[in-house]
This record gives sequence, C-alpha cells and structure tokens, in this order.
Amino acid sequence: MTLYDIIFYLFALVTISSAYLVVTVRNIVYSAFSLLFTLFGIAGLYALLGADFVAIVQLIVYVGGILILMIFGVMLTNKITNVQIKTGVFQILPATIGVGIFGGFLLAVLLNTNWLNLNVKDSPATTFQLGQLLMNEWVLPFELLGIVLLIALLGAASIARK
Amino acid sequence: MLEQYLPVFIVLGIAIVFGVATVLSSIIFGPQRPTTEKLSTYESGMKPVGTTKERVSIKYYLIAMLFIIFDLEVIFVYPWAVQFKKLFHEFGISVFISMFIFLVIFEIGYLYVYKKGGFKWD
Amino acid sequence: MEAPLKYIFDSIQYLKPEVAVSIFLAILVTVDLVLGKKNKQVLPYIALAGLVITGYFVTQQFGTSAFASVQHNIGNFGLIAVDSFGNYFKLIIILSSIFIVLFSISSIEIKQVFDRHGEYYSLIFGMMLGMMLMVSSADLILIYLSIELVSLSSYVLAGFTKQSLRNSEASLKYIIYGGTASGIMLFGISILYGIMGTTNLYAINTILQNGAFQPLALIISCILIFTGFGFKISAAPFHFWTPDVYEGAPIAITAYLSIASKAAGFALLIRFIKVTFIQTIGEDGYWQLLGVIDWKSFLIMISILTMTLGNFSALWQDNLKRMLAYSSIAHAGYMLLGLAVFSDQGVMAILIYFLIYLFMNLGAFFVVMLIANKIGSEEIDEYDGIAYKTPLLAVSLAVFLISLTGLPPTAGFIAKLYLFIALVDAKMIAVAIIALLNTVVSLYYYIRVLKHMFLTKPKVEGERITIGIADTVVLLAMLIPIFLFGLYFTPIVNFAKNSIALLGF
Repeated sequence: MTLYDIIFYLFALVTISSAYLVVTVRNIVYSAFSLLFTLFGIAGLYALLGADFVAIVQLIVYVGGILILMIFGVMLTNKITNVQIKTGVFQILPATIGVGIFGGFLLAVLLNTNWLNLNVKDSPATTFQLGQLLMNEWVLPFELLGIVLLIALLGAASIARK
Repeated sequence: MLEQYLPVFIVLGIAIVFGVATVLSSIIFGPQRPTTEKLSTYESGMKPVGTTKERVSIKYYLIAMLFIIFDLEVIFVYPWAVQFKKLFHEFGISVFISMFIFLVIFEIGYLYVYKKGGFKWD
Repeated sequence: MEAPLKYIFDSIQYLKPEVAVSIFLAILVTVDLVLGKKNKQVLPYIALAGLVITGYFVTQQFGTSAFASVQHNIGNFGLIAVDSFGNYFKLIIILSSIFIVLFSISSIEIKQVFDRHGEYYSLIFGMMLGMMLMVSSADLILIYLSIELVSLSSYVLAGFTKQSLRNSEASLKYIIYGGTASGIMLFGISILYGIMGTTNLYAINTILQNGAFQPLALIISCILIFTGFGFKISAAPFHFWTPDVYEGAPIAITAYLSIASKAAGFALLIRFIKVTFIQTIGEDGYWQLLGVIDWKSFLIMISILTMTLGNFSALWQDNLKRMLAYSSIAHAGYMLLGLAVFSDQGVMAILIYFLIYLFMNLGAFFVVMLIANKIGSEEIDEYDGIAYKTPLLAVSLAVFLISLTGLPPTAGFIAKLYLFIALVDAKMIAVAIIALLNTVVSLYYYIRVLKHMFLTKPKVEGERITIGIADTVVLLAMLIPIFLFGLYFTPIVNFAKNSIALLGF
C-alpha cells in the first residue's frame, strides 16, 4: 500500500462516514455540519485524481458558499432544530431495497467496465489547460455559461424582492 | 503529481493532530471543578434568555445567494487570469474579448440587481 | 482573427437565432433598467419584436445542415448541429413563445406583478435560448448546460407571481425534483464519458459503430441520462412533478411548460437516440439501431405507462389545470410511441403532432386563463353553465378539448391519424390498440368538462363574461388552425416531411 492509497482511503473514509451521518443524524444542524466533512473529503478526492482546479472550486463554492447558504437556511427557519425527521421502518425498508439495487448495479458497472484510464499521477496542473480550453474550442459554452449565470442572478433578484 | 500535494497533506495532518490534541489534553489534564457560576453562559453578565439557536434574518440568505453566483463567476475568470500572459501570447487580443463578453453579460445582471435594490439591507 | 473568437465567428452564420435571442435578452434587461415604473408596457412588444426577428432568422436557416462551433480534434464534429429537424422545433418554440407573450399581456396574474415584468420577459427569453440550444446541441456538455438554462428559468417562472401558497409550492417542488433529475442525468453523462472518452454524440456513434461497446455501463448510463430527458417531457416514472407544478404555476407559464419545454425535451431525446445509436437507415425509412440497448421495448413500455397513468389520473381531477396537466402527460405518451417506431415516418408523426398540439393545448390553456381572469378559479364545478355566460369561450374550449381527444374534423384527429398509421405500418398493432383504448378513456374526462359547461345549470346566476378584441383575435389565431389543419392538412404534412432530416443522417 503506497502513500497515495493511504491518503485515498483516508479521504474516502471521511467522505462516506460523514455522508452517512448527514442522512442519519436526527438534528438537522448536526447533519448540515457533517455535510462540511463530506464536501471536504470530496475535494480531497478530486485533488488526488489530479483535478486540482476542481478541488479548489469544490472548496470555494461548496464548502465556502453553498454550505454556508444551507446553514443560513437552517438557522432562519423557525424552530427547525426541533423538527424530528421521521425515519421509521416504513421508510427505511423501501429505501434500503432501492439503494441496494441501485448500488448493486453501480458496483457491477464499476467492476465489469473497462474504463478509459488517464495517468493522473504525473499529469500537469489543470488550471492552464482549462483556461486554454475555455478560451479555445469551448468558448461558446463559456459565453453560454455567462448567460446561465445572468439568468441565475435575475432569478435570485426576482425571488428576493417582495 | 502527488509530490506537489505532499506538503499540503502534511500540514493538514499536523493541523488535525494539533487541534484534536490540544482539545483532548485540556480535557484530560486540566483540573475540573465546575460550579453553577462557571457553567453559566456569561459568568458575570445578564441571565441568558431563550435558546442559542436564534433565527437569523432572511436577508442573510439573499446576500449569501448572490455571493455564490458571484463566486461562480470568479471561478471561471480564475483559469483565464492566472495564465493570461501565456494565453495572450498564444491567441492574441481575442482572449481579452471573449472574457470581456462573458463579463459584460454578467455585469448586466449585476447592474440589474443593484438598481432593483438587491443589495440594500433595509 | 486568432483562435478563440474564430470558433464563434466561423459559426455565427449558423447561430443567428441564438445570438438574436441573447441580444434581445440583454436589451430587455437594460430597457427595464432605463425605463421608469410607468413604461413597463413596452416590454412585451420588445419581446414580440425579438421573437419575430428570431423567427425570421430561423426560417432563413431552413435547408442548411452544418456543424456550428466545430471541434477539430475529434473528427470535425461540432457542438451544435444545425439542421431542418432542429429548425422545425425552433419554430415551434418561437411560435409558442409568441403566444405566451400575447397570453401574458392579457393575464391578470401577470399584470399584478407589473413591477417585475423586466425579469419575467428576460426569463422567458433565457428559457427560449436554452430550449433552442437543447433542440440542436450534439454534445453532452452543451446538452446539460442548455437543460440547466431552461430549468433555472422555469423554476423561477413557475413561482413567479408569489401571490398564493400553491404558487410557491409549485416552484419549490419543481426545483427539488428538477435538481434531482439533472443530478442523476449528470451522473449518467459522467459514466458515458468514462467509457467513451468523448462527450460528442457523433463521436460516440463512431466509437459504437466500430463495435467497441460495454453493454452494462452503456445501459446504466443511458437509463440515467433518460431520467433527465424523461423529466423534461414528463414521461411516466418521472412525471410526478407535472400536476403540482402545472396547477400552481401562472397559467401562461403552465401553457409554456406544456408545449415548448416538452418540445425541446422531445427533440433532444430523438436527437440523442438517433445520433448516438443509429447504425443505418433502411430504404423504407426504418432505422437500424445498434443492438446494444433495446430502446424499442424500453420506449414502448415507458410510453404505455405514461399514457395510461396520465389518462386514468385525469379522470378524477376537479381542477381544470390539473386535468390538462395529466392530459399533457398522456399526450407525451402518445408522442413517445412515434419515436418507438424508429422510422422516419414515426418522427414525421411526432412533428405533425407537435405543431397541432401547440395550437390545441395553448388554446385550451388560453380559454382557461380568460375564464380564470373573470371568475378567479379553475375548478370544473365553477364552469357549470358557463356556456350561457360566454358562448364564444365555451365553444372554443369545446373545440380545443375535442381536438385534444382526437375526433374529426379537428386537427387533433389528423395528428393521431398519422401516429396510428406509423404504428400500423410498423406492425405494432397491439400497441396501437392500447393507444386507441387510451384515447377512448380520454374522451370521458374531456367530455365531462363539456357537460359542465353546456348541460349543467349554473348555481348562481353570474354576469356575462366578455372578452376584448385583442383576446378574440388571439383566440381565433389558435381556433382557425384547428379546423384548417383538420380539413386541409397537406401543407403541414409536407412541411413535416421536409423537416425530418437530422444532420448526417
């Protein structure tokens, strides 16, 4: 087991165990905080995969932005900490079956597929490549993205005002 | 590739160990003689009223929402900005123009939100 | 001109409609900023002007078939495929947008929020841009981006008026379900990319033609991707958002979602399946799909489920908007059958169906909106004896509903006829019979509305409902095609026949 593997399993453990807490903890504030570790663990996995830019984006946008938004959402809702999320046998059974079947399929896909492999261990930093692609062949989706963000901004302004 | 990140992971490891160790050691080694006064929220202040989980105003939420959208905007400027010289050398002035279009599209939205009072607090 | 802008300028001749929409989107936002509170009524007319100009560019484009934004490193395939098929759907989207803007001018719900009109029309334009890219994009990344653009705008539009609780409920449900669906789709796309190494549909087709495919991963990824498409066209297991959102959204937006958004979803689904999985097209117009996924049984199953669920749920609805929502689910089921035939004839049937469906469904929603403007309700019980108060509206609604059922001499009959001909020609008799039985079921709930309108005495004697001249003109603009295409349908059939060609196939 190399150092790479050890770090990978460390991050995987953080991600999975905190994700499990997110859905099982009864206090919604706690589950919002365990989401922090899930998102952080995923950022670590991205970094290990050689996607350094995506890892930074994950940290800045998800950990720094969206999670804060979620915690605000929890805090501005009246008495939300008192809400007991119902997880009786009635919901757990179908959920387990569904997740089991889906997980089984995914596992089968994962093991039986001949994935295209990139040698990530010695690929260069991706930020420059990304800038080059965005300015080059993908400039059209890039400008479209500007419009998507414009629409998001207009939508946010529309929802925000009375 | 991993070698580049090794210092980061080492710092991360040290930070976690340090944080956990200090908290744990103060619990283990520190003398603990609790009294009612010591356990109250403000030892010598007003009596705490209500829960600690206060509701915050919806306005925070709106600001946070706008923040994320601007955050995303900056994310896409970043790969362009850090390598601007190289890109400029390679592609010429049009690198500047395509980012300019992107920003203009977005600034329209910014002006709109500003004019409609999206950033006003009251 | 150096590299980056070259990619735009080389292909701008094919992207004129999209560019026009984007420019008008910017104009709408700026005009709304510059104008004071009093001059908001110019906005819809600017929007109409933009739509007409965009429509002009689209009609100019008929007959061209080329890639826009070509990627030279993957065999000169492009991000966007400009072809007659896409242009046909773009025309449907623009036509329905024109009607929606006209609806919005006379809708009370929209008038009440006049200070946000700038946002309203900009969001409609944003949604339109997304849909126009959806119908023509040939790359999974662009497909995802355009779907997100459509979704973001429609989430906000569904809860736009914020007047009632059900309005916010519609928006919230839509955003949660929609977010989940697009997340699942993105997962599917990532698996597909993981085995193919490219996101371009044409490039994927080339790889598959060479026989290098891995069935299990391909099937899973396609089912996951279908979730996203199925959500947009409200096909059966992913239809559950439709009734709530359609009921809660402002009527103009409900009509828009039921036509334009669905048309874009269908165009995308047809393009995705045809471009990615086709092997050859036979002499007789039947497609030979690559034998890796049994799309035929899959689609037949989905469509039968969709129409049966839609029709049988519609039977118990007391709210007209909700009933029309279920009916639109059922219609999506019929149209999916046209795709399941896997022939040019089937696609032609879908094209004819959509053009006619546009007039009849928009018309039905328009009448419901005009009546709701006056009586403030869409409950079927409130429609008791409404024929005595407003004969014109009642008769038009009756015509639209009969057309939705598919009875002659209305255009709805022609639409169903071509669909059934395609089914019978493909020897799918059993499926055709199931669809026919479904049509019979649908007759019941459409006729039930007529019974309330014409045969039941009103509980309270109300005033006569009158409508203005402008509304009458708009109503006639939808009513006349129903009869016209019902009797003289050669032009639209020829038009559809000329528009079935996808780029490269």
